[in-house]
Amino acid sequence: MLKDITLGQFFPGDSILHRTDPRFKVLILLVFIVAVIAAKSAFAFLAVGVLTVTLVAVSHIPVRIVLKNLKALIFILIFTGILNIFFYQGENVVFEWKFITVYREGLIYAAFMVLRLVCLVCGSFVLLTYTTSPLDMTDALESLLSPLKKIKLPVHEFAMMLTIALRFIPTLVEETDKIMSAQKARGADMESGGLLKRAKALIPILIPLFVSSFRRADELAEAMECRCYHGGEGRTRMKVMKCRVSDWVFLIIMLGICVGVFFVNGYGVRV
Amino acid sequence: MAYIDIKDLVFAYDEEGRSKIFDGLSLCLEKGSYTAILGRNGSGKSTLAKLICGILQPLGGSITVGGLATDREEELWQLRRSCGMIFQNPDNQIVASVVEEDVAFAPENLGVPSAEIRRLVDECLAAVDMTEYAKHSTYKLSGGQKQRVAIAGVLAMRPQCIIFDEATAMLDPLGRRDITARMKALNKEKGITVINITHYMNEAAEADRVIVLDKGRVMMDGTPREVFSHGDELRAANLDTPQITELCDRLIELGWELPRGILHTMEAADAIENYVKGQN
Repeated sequence: MLKDITLGQFFPGDSILHRTDPRFKVLILLVFIVAVIAAKSAFAFLAVGVLTVTLVAVSHIPVRIVLKNLKALIFILIFTGILNIFFYQGENVVFEWKFITVYREGLIYAAFMVLRLVCLVCGSFVLLTYTTSPLDMTDALESLLSPLKKIKLPVHEFAMMLTIALRFIPTLVEETDKIMSAQKARGADMESGGLLKRAKALIPILIPLFVSSFRRADELAEAMECRCYHGGEGRTRMKVMKCRVSDWVFLIIMLGICVGVFFVNGYGVRV
Repeated sequence: MAYIDIKDLVFAYDEEGRSKIFDGLSLCLEKGSYTAILGRNGSGKSTLAKLICGILQPLGGSITVGGLATDREEELWQLRRSCGMIFQNPDNQIVASVVEEDVAFAPENLGVPSAEIRRLVDECLAAVDMTEYAKHSTYKLSGGQKQRVAIAGVLAMRPQCIIFDEATAMLDPLGRRDITARMKALNKEKGITVINITHYMNEAAEADRVIVLDKGRVMMDGTPREVFSHGDELRAANLDTPQITELCDRLIELGWELPRGILHTMEAADAIENYVKGQN
C-alpha cells in the first residue's frame, strides 16, 4: 500500500493535462470548482457534466480508476442524495406516506447535488491529483503563493517543508516497519485487545520513531547547511516552469465555460 | 601555506568548555592530499569534520580552509562550497525525492542559472556513473547508490575538498569498496583534497597519509606503512591494523623475518614467498 507514496496517486503520462503547467492547472481547477458550484439549472449541469467527461477523456486516465475513486465516496453520495430527497421543502408533492413527504424539487435538487459532487471529485482528480507529480505541485504552490512573501509569509519554507516531508514519508514508513518488527520480536502484542489497548501498544512504536526522526532532522539540517542551503533568498531552480500559449488558451477556455455556466443558469429546469 | 590549517583548536560541546573534545590540536593538510583520519568512537574525528565545514564553531584557536576562516560569517558559504562533506547515513543527507533534483540542490542554493545547473547535474551524475538513474526515486536506491548520489550532489558545488565522514560505515562490502575506489579516483584524477574519516583500516591503507586521533590529540601521523607498522600502539588505543598487516605481525612474532607495515595482500604474499624460499 505504501510502496511508492512519494508519487501519491500520480499516474505518469503524456496527455494534455500532464503537459499543462502545474500553476495553470491549480488556477484552472479553481475556475472549474467555481463553475461546478455555481451551476443551478439543468443546462448548466449538462455543461459541467460534458466538461468533466471531456477532462477525464483527455487525461488518458483509465475510466476504471476514476470510477474506483467514486466508489470510495459512494456512501457520501447516497447520504447526500437521500438527505436532500426527504428534507427538501418544495411545492409539488410527488409522494406522501405518514410523515414522509417527497417533493419534485427535492428530487431535482438531490440529483443536482450528487451530480455536483461527482463532477467536483472526478474533475479535481484528473486535473491535479492524477496528472501532477507531488513535486510539481509543491513547486506550483510556491510559485503561486510567492506574492505572499511581500507580507512576510514564509512561502519558500513552507514549500521546502512539503518537499522534505514527501521525501521522508517512505523512509519513515520503512522505519516504522522495522520498529514494529523489533517490538514484536520482544513480545509486544499489537493485534489483540480493545481499541484502548491497541492504542497503548502503539506507544513503544511512536517513541522510538519520534526520537529517530529528530536525529534524522538534525543530520539533514547539517547536510543541507553543508550544501549551502540558506533559505529561499537568491535561490535558483534547475527546472523553470514555463507557461506556454496552450496553458493560457486552456485557462481562457475554462474561464469562458465558467461564464457560460453563469449565463445558462437561467435556462432549463432549475431549483 | 597548507590548504587546511588547524591551529591550537579548542572545542567542547558544552559552552563552558568543561569536557573538552579538543584542547590545543594543531594539524595541517596539504592541497590535493588524500588523508585518512582514524580513531575510536569518541576520539573527536566526526567533530573535527564538522569544525572544518564550519557547522560547529571552535571555542579557541582557528581553522582556515583555503585561506577562508570558519568563524567568519561572510566567508562561510564560500568555505562550504569549496569543502563538501559526505555523511554516514545515506538516507539523512538526501533532500529531494528524485535523484537529479537532489544533485541540483547545492547549485540551486548557490544561485547558479538554470541552464548551467542542468549541465552541472548531468556532468556530476556521469562522474559517479548514475546517469541512468537521473529520474529515479532516491528512496529506492541501494546504500552505495545513495552515497554516489551524495557525492554527485557535493561535486555539483565544484569543491576543492571533500570530507567523507564514515561514509562507508552503513554500506555493504561491495558498496564500501566502490566508494573507497571513488575517493581515490576523485583525489588522483580530479585533484580534489580527500579526507576519509573511517573505522576501516583497509580503507585507511589506501590513503597517502594516516592520522590517528586519540582523546582529541594526534597520536600518530604518517604514511599508512609507517602508522600500521606500530601495530602494538594501535591496539593499545583500541584500534586495529588491516587484517593482512595483523597476519604478518603475528608471523613476525613467531619468528618469521618479514618487513613491518605490509598493507596489501599481494605484497604480503611476495614477502612470505621470499622468506620461505630463503629458508630452503
